[in-house]
Amino acid sequence: MSYTERDTVPLNQSSQSDIDEIENLINYTVQSTVLPARPPSPPSIPVSSSPFIPSNLPPPPQKPASVPSVPQQPSNRTANGQQQSNLTGFGSPPNTLTEPVWDTVKRDLSRIVSNLKLVVFPNPFREDPGKALRDWDLWGPFFFIVFLGLTLSWSASVKNSEVFAVAFALLATGAVILTLNVLLLGGHIIFFQSLSLLGYCLFPLDIGALICMLKDNVILKIVVVCVTLAWSSWAAYPFISMAVNPRRKALALYPVLLMYVSVGFLIIAID
Amino acid sequence: MDLNPPPGENYANPRICFFHVLFKAGALAFYILSALFSDSFVIIFVVTVLLAALDFWVVKNVSGRILVGLRWWNEIDDNGESVWKFECLDQESLARMNKKDSWLFWWTLYLTAVVWIFFGIFSLIRFQADYLLVVGVCLTLSIANIVGFTKCRKDAKKQIQQFASQTIASRFSSTLQSAFSVV
Repeated sequence: MSYTERDTVPLNQSSQSDIDEIENLINYTVQSTVLPARPPSPPSIPVSSSPFIPSNLPPPPQKPASVPSVPQQPSNRTANGQQQSNLTGFGSPPNTLTEPVWDTVKRDLSRIVSNLKLVVFPNPFREDPGKALRDWDLWGPFFFIVFLGLTLSWSASVKNSEVFAVAFALLATGAVILTLNVLLLGGHIIFFQSLSLLGYCLFPLDIGALICMLKDNVILKIVVVCVTLAWSSWAAYPFISMAVNPRRKALALYPVLLMYVSVGFLIIAID
Repeated sequence: MDLNPPPGENYANPRICFFHVLFKAGALAFYILSALFSDSFVIIFVVTVLLAALDFWVVKNVSGRILVGLRWWNEIDDNGESVWKFECLDQESLARMNKKDSWLFWWTLYLTAVVWIFFGIFSLIRFQADYLLVVGVCLTLSIANIVGFTKCRKDAKKQIQQFASQTIASRFSSTLQSAFSVV
């Protein structure tokens, strides 16, 4: 028995034509031409394939205005079924556990790196912040916050655990509250996108904290923290300022700068 | 939902079931035994939260797809709106899913959240704010997965019902039409 290539079925569809497409795909299972080799286990899911298989089927090219009933236009449907089964290419099925896991891990890691490059380093996409961090993820911010907490905790000679807990709680709740601040000022930003952004902008401060941990000279610490603080603020500025009304830019930006300054003081003050 | 695994068949994906349970149990075990392992709260926090985050990732990306055929994620569309997308296998594949796998999946998912809630209550009673932080983070991750997959399953059922009624309705209308055309 040949398995259908499109095993994943999109949900939340409201349009009639989409439901017809699903029926189409199930009816024309045997006719789909591109079939990768499948293991005999029932759920043949393309785990290692492209991450975001579009959950909405591509719209059929020419559907007549009236809702078509099933027995009419069989040729049109066949063409649609074939076209859609050719549009989605699946990767090889998971033979071992490591194969799909590695692909997913690599994909997530590359997303972290690309998000980092978009946010922290100069690049042409900074003009359009909404597009830049469309592919938000919270793994990068998680690693950066934990790393900052760990660095501060290692630098501290006493009360290591409290330093770590305070740093982590400060950064996490600070990010949430800053996001709420932007939203309450009437800004247009997605909650998770903003959390992700504020987390990624911690990257320069992470570097600063690392350098301060390695070299214990006060003057050097002040200089390094100032430089990395300016870098963090420069990284966060366009995203926040674009999200709110120009008259409220300062209201949205000031708390962000305040939080980064307080983290900078924390880095300097730890000995 | 019954307390015992459905009889008569073995796990279809034993390795994935193992990993599904491994990180959950690891996070809980490390949290419980932390007093024996290490004095430092930092280590406890980092290791527990790391295991919980790994578990979140494994359940969302690997075991959800393979054990129950569900997947959920969030996208930002061109208008800048955030859209939650849910996806499931078609009905035939869903029916072919191993019952034991899905039993294990759902039971462990709900059970870990309940256990974390207990630990949260304990740390509240003992006024340990930093342990409450750990429990809070782990609980957030478990609940996120639970909500995502439950919504996904509800959507899958709704979609299947919609589809079934739609096919019945269309077949009915087509037989009516053919009946009338004959007459």
